[in-house]
Amino acid sequence: MCSESANELIEVSMRMDDFSSEWMHCDRISSYIARLVAQDRPDPLYYENLFSSAMNELLETVYLNHGSEGDLTCRVRRMDETDVIEIGLPSDEKTSDFYTDVVSALDGRDIEDLYNAALFAAGQRDARLGMFELAVDYKAKITVLTSSGRLTLSTQIAFGGAQ
Amino acid sequence: MVMANKGVFQAGFNENNQEFIISGKLRPSNEIELESLLRGIEEAVANVQGRFYLNVKRLAYINNIAFCALHRVIAQLSSRRLDVQFVIVTSSVLGWSTRKFSAIAQRNDNVAVAEYDTEFYPGQSFLEDGGFIPILRNQTRLTWRHERDLLTQHGLQPGTDVADICCGIGDFAVLLKKEFDPSRLLALDHSRSSLEYARKIASDFGLTDIEYVYGDAAELLIADNTFDFVTCRHSLQIFDKPDMILRELFRICKPGGRVYVTNEKNSHCLGEPRADSIQWTYSEVAKLFSHFKMDVEYGPKSGRYLMDTGFEDVKVDTFMVTNRDGDPQDFAAVIQAWEDVYAGQMARDRGDSAEFIARFRQGFQDHISAALHPKGYAGWPIWAASGRKPL
Ligand SMILES: C[S@@+](CC[C@H](N)C(=O)[O-])C[C@H]1O[C@@H](n2cnc3c(N)ncnc32)[C@H](O)[C@@H]1O
Repeated sequence: MCSESANELIEVSMRMDDFSSEWMHCDRISSYIARLVAQDRPDPLYYENLFSSAMNELLETVYLNHGSEGDLTCRVRRMDETDVIEIGLPSDEKTSDFYTDVVSALDGRDIEDLYNAALFAAGQRDARLGMFELAVDYKAKITVLTSSGRLTLSTQIAFGGAQ
Repeated sequence: MVMANKGVFQAGFNENNQEFIISGKLRPSNEIELESLLRGIEEAVANVQGRFYLNVKRLAYINNIAFCALHRVIAQLSSRRLDVQFVIVTSSVLGWSTRKFSAIAQRNDNVAVAEYDTEFYPGQSFLEDGGFIPILRNQTRLTWRHERDLLTQHGLQPGTDVADICCGIGDFAVLLKKEFDPSRLLALDHSRSSLEYARKIASDFGLTDIEYVYGDAAELLIADNTFDFVTCRHSLQIFDKPDMILRELFRICKPGGRVYVTNEKNSHCLGEPRADSIQWTYSEVAKLFSHFKMDVEYGPKSGRYLMDTGFEDVKVDTFMVTNRDGDPQDFAAVIQAWEDVYAGQMARDRGDSAEFIARFRQGFQDHISAALHPKGYAGWPIWAASGRKPL
């Protein structure tokens, strides 16, 4: 939709097998990308910190929910105050059901309740928590696109600039 | 007690102020990795009475896995220890921190969140609200004439990575940019109004690559060994714990790089004619600041403090800004700005009498007359000191 006017800032990719062999990849990739995309923002350190926090939640979600064969790609595009984080991943039925379900929940009226319930759940961790947080706390708009064994998770996010 | 995990986070308990501090990054893949940290918190709480502080001011990152674990432990402990008030100390420098931890406070009665860096320094409010802007704007114009050459003598080279900590309204950074064209220039302050002003000035001048950053000089979110040259001007003198700031400046400076600081000795401002009245007023300025725990007599001590922090090859210079440097009106404007703030809000807040304030103001007015008098002399001495971080 808005891709024409958006500026591509960075794209990285690696084999999903490699990515999901080491948890700290989530941290390393989000730190690296955050550092890069924050440079042109009015308050780079503030922006980097928030961007990395958000991106890390996305990557941790992907780490735990993805198909097997293929690459992980991360792309960031800029539209003024908003950045769009596009994560491409191999997908199977279970994976695409997971993301589609989360994304449809994000539009619901009770998303804040869902978020709080997930955040303070007593038992098992809720795999949707990271995405809930982005939608509620950062007002991110998250969409999913699937095509032939791959899925693209696209997150539009703005951090309200530096204060 | 100190614990650490692969250099990613540090945690420890300070019994004297019942404060458990976590800093760094908490991004574990599961709660088990946090076991020793969580146990540390439990053990700490077991031994406290009254208030328990969980200080996360320098916890730069936390993922939801760690957050949920931390919440679970705090919820358990706080419901078990209803006699203890739990205070989570967050920082305004991290955009997510206060919001995220507030959710814990909302769900647990005896847990509160305090955003501390804003309340941390006595007298900080004077410096952070807009009132200081006229002072800073005029001062830098006068000092630059002297500092431009001094900076080179103190080792600043063009095309290097430079940080100006406590940058105020950022005018010094603009001058640095023009004169030394650093490859990276970061300017940090804790006053949002000053930074806003700074960004506006920079964009008016078409300067886009100065990084104006909101932060706390005592707890910088900047990696170790980042900058070749770190400046901190007229600011160590306004903190009650300047050594904390110096340690941070030391930390972010690259080995072999230098930290450069300027400070005053206000009681040594001088003028002719009416030397006595002027001298009295400036001795009172020093006392006024010390009432608010700020040491504006710091200048001559700066060399010693640099050495005590571990710097080597320490250089100390002094220069005197005078009415003879350029347009005496500029100097008079600085003095007027001092009077407005010192004899205005600050003296009022100390509770000074009307008589005192009248006499206090008179010294500034005499200083202005001396500055503008064709045969007069008005001076403002400044100490510039720098040291090298050992290789
Ligand atoms: C006397 S002014 C000097 C400003 C500037 N260096 C100059 O010479 O014009 C001190 C500055 O320190 C800033 N400051 C106060 N507390 C701070 C903190 N905790 N971290 C960073 N800056 C702080 C104030 O906002 C103010 O701009």
